[in-house]
Amino acid sequence: MGWLLDPFAVPFMQRALLAVVLLAVVSGVLGTWVVLRGLAFFTHAVGTATFPGLVMAGPAGVAAPVAALAAGTGFAALTARLAARRGAGGAGADATIGLLLIGALALGAVLASDVFTSGAGVDQLLFGTLVGLRAGDLWLAGGVAIGAVGAGAALGRTWLATGFDPASTHALGVAGAWGDRLLLGLLAVAVVAVLPAVGALLVTTLLAVPAATARLWASSLRSLVCGAVGVALVDGVAGLLVAWYLDLPPGPAIAVVSGGLFGVVALARAVLQRRWRAA
Amino acid sequence: MSGAAISAHGLAAGYTTGRPVLTEVTFTLEAGQAVAVLGPNGGGKTTLFRVLLDEIEPAAGACALGARAAYVPQTERARLDFPLSAFDVALMGAYARTAWWRRVSKGDRAAAHAALERVDLTDRTSERFGALSGGQRQRVLIARALVQDAGVLLLDEPFAGVDATSEARILALLDELRAEGRALAISTHDVEQARRWDHVLCLNGRQVAFGPPGEALTTEVLQETYGAELVVLEGSRRAVAVHHHDHAHHQ
Repeated sequence: MGWLLDPFAVPFMQRALLAVVLLAVVSGVLGTWVVLRGLAFFTHAVGTATFPGLVMAGPAGVAAPVAALAAGTGFAALTARLAARRGAGGAGADATIGLLLIGALALGAVLASDVFTSGAGVDQLLFGTLVGLRAGDLWLAGGVAIGAVGAGAALGRTWLATGFDPASTHALGVAGAWGDRLLLGLLAVAVVAVLPAVGALLVTTLLAVPAATARLWASSLRSLVCGAVGVALVDGVAGLLVAWYLDLPPGPAIAVVSGGLFGVVALARAVLQRRWRAA
Repeated sequence: MSGAAISAHGLAAGYTTGRPVLTEVTFTLEAGQAVAVLGPNGGGKTTLFRVLLDEIEPAAGACALGARAAYVPQTERARLDFPLSAFDVALMGAYARTAWWRRVSKGDRAAAHAALERVDLTDRTSERFGALSGGQRQRVLIARALVQDAGVLLLDEPFAGVDATSEARILALLDELRAEGRALAISTHDVEQARRWDHVLCLNGRQVAFGPPGEALTTEVLQETYGAELVVLEGSRRAVAVHHHDHAHHQ
């Protein structure tokens, strides 16, 4: 068991572990809604949109999370508005999101290479630096974890009813439009909280993949949320160990582990289903 | 509460700008009565339901309900892949009276169980909603309306995608609800079935006719309702309307 525990004797790995635990809560609670409401691409795009904000934060003298939040929420509001104007349902207009996503990535790349010489490495902004976390990153993760749990408890029914059957939301007495706005806003904040860990390009590693994995077997909302928290924990800890022993950046390591676990669970499910059908 | 379950007078409704999708709707439905709402797609059936549910404002005229209204959607419009049991869906009927910081009360959970028993699905309460048959899902959604304690049920094509046995079962259930004094508005494409209800309301952008089926359902009314494109199949239960692609009115 030494190989499992030894890496976490180092302070920066302890901080990384704490971040994984806090972010697993965010991942489970909000990831559930990302997956159920089909917001994975939107979340990925909001993450990408924070990149130019992060590049400009240093030279502009703004705290990185503030710049990221401004860029992320600005992007979310813009896509929601453009999608609504084109008559599509809310933030689901993939083509609009895709175009804005590319624009944000290109803008970030141009700013990083030509305009500013950013102190932080571009690769860290894009892929995270879980082993270089500061106290502020942990406080933010903790705050967002508490906020996500509170919002999930208070608004879960609204999000569920709105997603399940949008035509009935009004007749059911559920404030669907407000609930959705809060969900999108909360997602933007959650994106900012996971940025230090997995970077602008890998936010869905935490905010969609664990819940998508749990959804393969979850039979109720509660088992989905709890399963997603568990999967995110496993992904995070395993990714940290892989990164430690193979000397890899932790963000991409967690992404590979979580993608791999999803594949294994999906395969196991398919095999089991075939066997049940045969029996 | 006395008076009509649904009353509409000179009602017109539509979306944001442009001319109303539906005009000149005037009718009264008493408690314990059912009305079949007939009309082509885009003819205003959904718009009528939305204005009755107070989801959109009338552009002209007025409407009033004598009791709480519930909407029963088509089951295919709901997300069948959600991890929700039949009980979870029925329980949604209690969301409106559950404060956001509270759990759904024991009384409401009992009400959801009772409603599922009412629609004869006691043995399916923990089954996943999406795994049920079309007819069973429709009954779960009716149970949800019962949990809402609705005196007026607006049913959107409740027999779409439902086999004949389930259809008979749902019809019997609707008759029971009617006998309890609930008012039902049932949007449908099935002209023959519409004849079994107390009234029919024919819509095609405006009210073409309202009245007891025997009086209202004339060939002229049907042709005006479905336009010149109505094809009446001899011996068939359905009036088949050939539509142009008309997606302006659907949201």
